[in-house]
Amino acid sequence: MSVTTEGPWARAEQLAVAPGRLSGNVQFSGRRGELFGRLLRGYLLMLPTLGLYRFWLTTAKRRFYWQNTIIGGDRLEYTGSASQLLVGFLFALGVFLPIYLVFFYLSFQSSEVTTIGYIGAALLLWFLAGYAIYRGRDFRLSRTLWRGIRFDQKGSAMGYATRRFFWSLLVLVTIGLAYPFMAANLWRYRYSNTWFGDRQFSFTGSWKTIAGPYYLAWFVFVLAAGFAIWAFVPAFDNASFYSNDIAGMTSLSMAAFLIVVVGALCFLYYRSRETTRMFSAVRLGDASLSVRVRARSLVGQYLLYGICLLGVLVVLGVIGFGIGQALDADLSGGDFSAASIARAGWTGLVLAAGGYLAALAAFTLLGEVFIDCGYWMLVAREAVITNLDSLTGARATPEDKSVAGEGLADALNVGSF
Amino acid sequence: MPLLARYSDGAVAAMRDVVLALDKSAAKPELIVADRQSYDEIDRWPVDRVYSVPSHRTELRVGVAGRPDGARLVFTGEEAISQAHAILPDLQRHRRRESGRQFRILAFSTLALVSVVVAYVVGVPLLANRITALVPPDWEEGLGAAAEGQIMQIIDAEGGFTVCGNDPDGIARAAIDRFTAEVMAGTNSPFTPKIWMVKSDVPNAFALPGGNAFYFSSLLDVTRSADEFAGVMAHELGHVAHRHGMESLIASSATGLLVGFVLGDMTNISIAAAIGATLIDSRFSREAEREADRFAAEAAVRLGFDPGALADLLDRIAGDNEMSQSLAFLSTHPFTAERRAALEQIAKQTAARPHGPVFSAEEWAAIRAICDGDIPSHPPQLYETPSLRIGRMPSN
Repeated sequence: MSVTTEGPWARAEQLAVAPGRLSGNVQFSGRRGELFGRLLRGYLLMLPTLGLYRFWLTTAKRRFYWQNTIIGGDRLEYTGSASQLLVGFLFALGVFLPIYLVFFYLSFQSSEVTTIGYIGAALLLWFLAGYAIYRGRDFRLSRTLWRGIRFDQKGSAMGYATRRFFWSLLVLVTIGLAYPFMAANLWRYRYSNTWFGDRQFSFTGSWKTIAGPYYLAWFVFVLAAGFAIWAFVPAFDNASFYSNDIAGMTSLSMAAFLIVVVGALCFLYYRSRETTRMFSAVRLGDASLSVRVRARSLVGQYLLYGICLLGVLVVLGVIGFGIGQALDADLSGGDFSAASIARAGWTGLVLAAGGYLAALAAFTLLGEVFIDCGYWMLVAREAVITNLDSLTGARATPEDKSVAGEGLADALNVGSF
Repeated sequence: MPLLARYSDGAVAAMRDVVLALDKSAAKPELIVADRQSYDEIDRWPVDRVYSVPSHRTELRVGVAGRPDGARLVFTGEEAISQAHAILPDLQRHRRRESGRQFRILAFSTLALVSVVVAYVVGVPLLANRITALVPPDWEEGLGAAAEGQIMQIIDAEGGFTVCGNDPDGIARAAIDRFTAEVMAGTNSPFTPKIWMVKSDVPNAFALPGGNAFYFSSLLDVTRSADEFAGVMAHELGHVAHRHGMESLIASSATGLLVGFVLGDMTNISIAAAIGATLIDSRFSREAEREADRFAAEAAVRLGFDPGALADLLDRIAGDNEMSQSLAFLSTHPFTAERRAALEQIAKQTAARPHGPVFSAEEWAAIRAICDGDIPSHPPQLYETPSLRIGRMPSN
């Protein structure tokens, strides 16, 4: 895909060719293998701790990312601890209990009231997700140290949640067309309320920064989906379900395949452009950030992820099959007592549950290693900060350690990194 | 050999190259931090207040109590790190103490969680029972009405929903209502249950919260005696009298909360959460079935019909096998052999009244024919549906 040269991008290109100490002042020294080791250990420890180890794992993961990110020769430091996350989670539980009771009460009411109540609860959860995202960002930033100075997220989490809530409703109503406006608005809110010591970040982007790539991706996707439906679906009618019409089924799966592949490519193309252009619009006083992420790098990561996942699932399948065979042999040995059959039933169940958990763990673990870590590596390695020296002299501000932490984010599953 | 480090004071964003020296002359040893070029003293850190912070494996980072939180000395490379440890011997002890502390927090919170789970598994059946007693009966009736609407939609989609023999003066209707009133007499139930005979080719019978129960014609087709019919009805009325629908709703809400807490996903989206919740809920469900059986057996003793007849019907339609028994903890219903034993046990313990017909021959004939006329053309697929249930609502 060709690279456009308007907007903040042009600047990044000039910087990328500029020689000397400007380029490469952000580095990442971590390796995927190390992260994999930490994740595997953490996943295993979650079993005996009934999942509570997740707070320690999150902390270990963040230390990995932070400590391996080197800006101007100095590593970032993550000062948060697992017990803070644990306490935050208990606070979140306090928020959820009343919601839970309301759900419970609603289930007694007439079906109209119940439906309205559930819609209301879904909207409330969507709103809370925005609040949780902002608080989570606050938690992480205020526990990030660089050259002895702390970052911080100010502004109001409620304000952010409100903006995000109404913008996303608008995006829904306009079938996605309002998205660039929402993205620019929320990026600006986040960054203009981000601080490094006593220095305030700013955001120079606007909806125009990403409008081009966004509408291009949107248009291509709609066109492809329309084409897929027009070309393949008429061959398929309702009767095909019952008559095993292979041609009809094939054309339907062709349509689905086309939509998924084009959708994924459009998404990755847009994501690379948004990362590039939006991050490159972030300023901190005289210092400015520029990032250049290519779509093909993102596609490459997803392909790598897919291949590794396939490999791991095949290995898991072979192991499961092997155990199943061994059990079969056990049974065909002539021992048909009730106990042995019952044992086989139990083992089968344990195998199925274990296989399910292992496959689920493989999905998320490899996703974190290839997609999440890969993205962080790309952004860090492609980032350049101009005028980094201007940050010398930023002064620390008084401590502001919020207690509630990011428990809500954990509870709502919206935590990132 | 001088000990070199990078230093930040935690007040201004800057890292300075420093050289360190240990001053043992003071009452407590101090670490002198000096500029690497000019040797000007920058700060003095009391050695006993220095602590290490988590850092990259190629670095050792230390902070000091009594200075800004961001004040740091950063030692890079193996040599500098081992030198630093030599000067600051307490660091490793501090670190061990800190990891011990983390381990204790993890261990205690896990223990706390385990006790919550145990208290839950033991306590919720008891608690659900108490809470159910506090729920106003008209809430439960509302819930029953809502469930009824949903179930009728399902049944409609599966081939029609017709209530049979609803003429209040009909022999069958009157007999069923009389039986219902006799079973419920003396139970102090706030509900006045009604059993509806429904034409359907799904063989089932179930009770809804609030008192409505349903007996499907396909089940009636395989019901061979008035005692079997009475046993099933008494079982369903047992669910109504014990308010099991309500109890299971309370129990499963509590399960959702617990499983969400364990897995840290309180929106209950994850499949793992659903599996966990099903495992725990099915236990309560089996307990409820036993309770309804007990209720039916006691009614049988009181009204003088055979309590074992319910088990006969169950035998005919379910057919246990050993394989499914090994998966018993997944099932919502206890096994027939077990249920029969329990039913007969109760019957034995209580002196039964003389065994008399619970329905007259005329009444039983009328009940059997209640859905006759245009019974669905294809025969009920009884033996192909081993999951057949005589229970409460088909799903929670």
